[in-house]
Amino acid sequence: MTFGTTESKRLSMSRVLRSAQSYTVGLAVLAVGLVLTLLTNRFLRIDNVLNVLTNASVVAIVGLGMTLAIASGNFDLSVGSTAAFAGCVSMSLVPALGVPLAIVAGLVAGALVGLVNGLIMTELRVPAFITTLGMMSVVRGLALIYTGGRDIYLYGQTEYKVLSGGHLLGIPMPVLLALALAALLSSVLAQTRFGRHILAVGSNLPSARRSGVRTSQVLWGIFAIVGAAAALSGMIISAQVLTANGRLATGLELNAIAVVVVGGTALTGGKASLSGTLLGAVLVAMINNGLNLLNVPIFYQDLTVGLLLLVALALQVERGWNPLTQLRRTQ
Amino acid sequence: MSAPGSAQPLLRLRGLSRRFPGVQALDNVDFDVLPGEVHALVGENGAGKSTLINILAGVLQPSHGTVEMDGHPIVLPTPLAAQNAGISVIFQEFNLLPHLSVAENVFLNREPVRGLRIDWPTLYSRTREVLALLDIDLDPRTPVNNLPVAQQQLVEITKALSFKSRLIVMDEPTAALSEREVERLLGLVRSLANSGAGVLYVSHRLAEVFQVADRISVLRDGHHILTAPTGELTEQQVISAMVGRELVHTQCPERYPGEMVMQVRDLAVPGAASGVSFDLRAGEVLGLAGLMGCGSTEVMQALFGLQPRSAGEVTLQGKALVIDGPRAAIHSGLGFVPNDRKRNGILPDLSVMHNVTIGILDRMRQAAWIDRTQERAVIDGYRGKLSIRYSNPSQRVSGLSGGNQQKVILARALAEDCRVLLLSEPTRGVDVGAKAEIYTMIDRLVEAGMAVLLQSSELPEVLRLANRCIVFAGGRPQGELSGAHLNQAAVMELATGLGAKEVA
Repeated sequence: MTFGTTESKRLSMSRVLRSAQSYTVGLAVLAVGLVLTLLTNRFLRIDNVLNVLTNASVVAIVGLGMTLAIASGNFDLSVGSTAAFAGCVSMSLVPALGVPLAIVAGLVAGALVGLVNGLIMTELRVPAFITTLGMMSVVRGLALIYTGGRDIYLYGQTEYKVLSGGHLLGIPMPVLLALALAALLSSVLAQTRFGRHILAVGSNLPSARRSGVRTSQVLWGIFAIVGAAAALSGMIISAQVLTANGRLATGLELNAIAVVVVGGTALTGGKASLSGTLLGAVLVAMINNGLNLLNVPIFYQDLTVGLLLLVALALQVERGWNPLTQLRRTQ
Repeated sequence: MSAPGSAQPLLRLRGLSRRFPGVQALDNVDFDVLPGEVHALVGENGAGKSTLINILAGVLQPSHGTVEMDGHPIVLPTPLAAQNAGISVIFQEFNLLPHLSVAENVFLNREPVRGLRIDWPTLYSRTREVLALLDIDLDPRTPVNNLPVAQQQLVEITKALSFKSRLIVMDEPTAALSEREVERLLGLVRSLANSGAGVLYVSHRLAEVFQVADRISVLRDGHHILTAPTGELTEQQVISAMVGRELVHTQCPERYPGEMVMQVRDLAVPGAASGVSFDLRAGEVLGLAGLMGCGSTEVMQALFGLQPRSAGEVTLQGKALVIDGPRAAIHSGLGFVPNDRKRNGILPDLSVMHNVTIGILDRMRQAAWIDRTQERAVIDGYRGKLSIRYSNPSQRVSGLSGGNQQKVILARALAEDCRVLLLSEPTRGVDVGAKAEIYTMIDRLVEAGMAVLLQSSELPEVLRLANRCIVFAGGRPQGELSGAHLNQAAVMELATGLGAKEVA
């Protein structure tokens, strides 16, 4: 007997669709794949598929971090700026530290940005939306100041390219990184105290606090992870062209949020679908790739992602998520 | 009490049924409401009251059966149709726009206009007329969010009246009111009926129902069990009809206080309470009683670190307690069941099991991972101990009934190994059957040596559970009662400030 409230008695079409949303993304991936296979003769070629998966992975890595933020009832608009900042910091340090340490430095820079986001939210009690909107500009500014507005090139240091061009059994490094991150975060979410606390905070913050959850620390952890994930994406993007600058990865935040929402993670918090986020990223990358293969002008890509996001959101709205109450949510 | 006699029914329900997938929410329900009558509708949670209200409000449609007004069948496809048919429903959750004034709310969407502009003087004077009808003293220009809950309710009633509604349906209208405000509301309900309207009064609280209703109807599991004039029924009969069995125990069982567990000296909560001192022993229940706003709620919150305290010392098992937040409180051995389960208790998206274990994950770890076998064992243990009813421990907690959710929160506090259990309104919004179960459970815990501090605005609850009771009024303890001195009259005397200080 689960019909406790009148609310739950109302069975609506969109509810049916929602409960099936994780399948829906999977089905959409198959359907779009089928259509593109029929419409173009290049889609299923190995190099194209790997290309699609690589593009999907760059967004998926940020999206996976973002999934944690959204599961906690927050989101992070500063990830694009963080990606650029970390990319610039990391690449500029390659000559001095060497590639491995430079990559670590980039991850640390991203995590620090995330930690600052978390501290602003818990200590100054600024909602996530406002905090990360502000930090989006602040960090973008820092990246531009740090680089003096110029490009950073890596002459001859092609080792850095391992981030984007490396392979293992024919699978590109970005795909491996995205899969590894998804596996790691899945087990964190499902099997650790921290993961449980993330969902508790997202489900009902006051209740979580009263159950003894250190809610502030949980948020710091989440945003540090989001920052590090953004940094990893930023470094992959930089490695692809062996160039970094302060204008890197603009708009990444919206793409990242879009793949999470398309993947079926509710903006109301309390739930997360990391596999959905991966599939969402693949779906978006496939659509963009298809539009390219079909010679549709590039401007239509933004339009398509936007429409996809709206559809996914419309499926969530009836659950009671309201953008206005979301803004008022404080720590 | 008016004798409606042979008047034609204002509202008649004939064979009203409503099916939801897997549930027959209403099954062939027949009863009527006469003009000038206050007709109470009672039943446990899930009895079908909400479904019936929603049908009358035009929110839900019946699967079978008809609704008749003045002997004519009517259909209510939308809330607007219900309004036009002369039915106003005042839901438990108000439908007021907080930033608008009283007048704007009352005449929302029907504002008197002059040209394109709202005719403010007329709006205010018409609102004043309706308010005067009800003898309510409110400024029509006050924004609704500046008003206390009780007065917001009056605004809802004013609004219902302004439609010249002939049937007024009230869903748990006193849930958020203090006793004095309840008295006032009941008077108002009476005068609404005297003016010729029919009132369908839906409530859990039998004392009020018996005070105000001309007739009482009972629903159970979607069935209409009985309708009878109030004078021909006893509370016990109504309760049995609601739960389908006789309930035992309204008296507190013998308690056997043991060693001293907690001492509170001169606790003060800024703006709420001061001068609070008491001892609490193992195996006893100390009640904190008083009218709403008396400060006892805040005392509970302060003890758990949810409210700052400006003075006072708390010792737990001989150690001075520094409570700077819920986490510290839990660690020193306090368990808390908050009075607002939905807002401050449950984690709605998490499973039943995860709701219980959220505070003790540290204890169930193997390296970084949560030990699921152990977690499962914990929830299985409490399922039996607290008779929590769920089909699967991975089921979302929000799918459980209020009573079972409350047991889950109790299990969470117990899992944290508390020495002192702070219960704040432990059975608010819980149906009669689950209430009895929770009482029995508390008895068992206390027997096993738990020390319980109970804060409740329901006097019968305090009398049923507590062997001692401190009565609050105006933020100060008025006295302590126990044994034969602990009875309804004595508590009310202190709570209303009539009694002498320091009785026992």
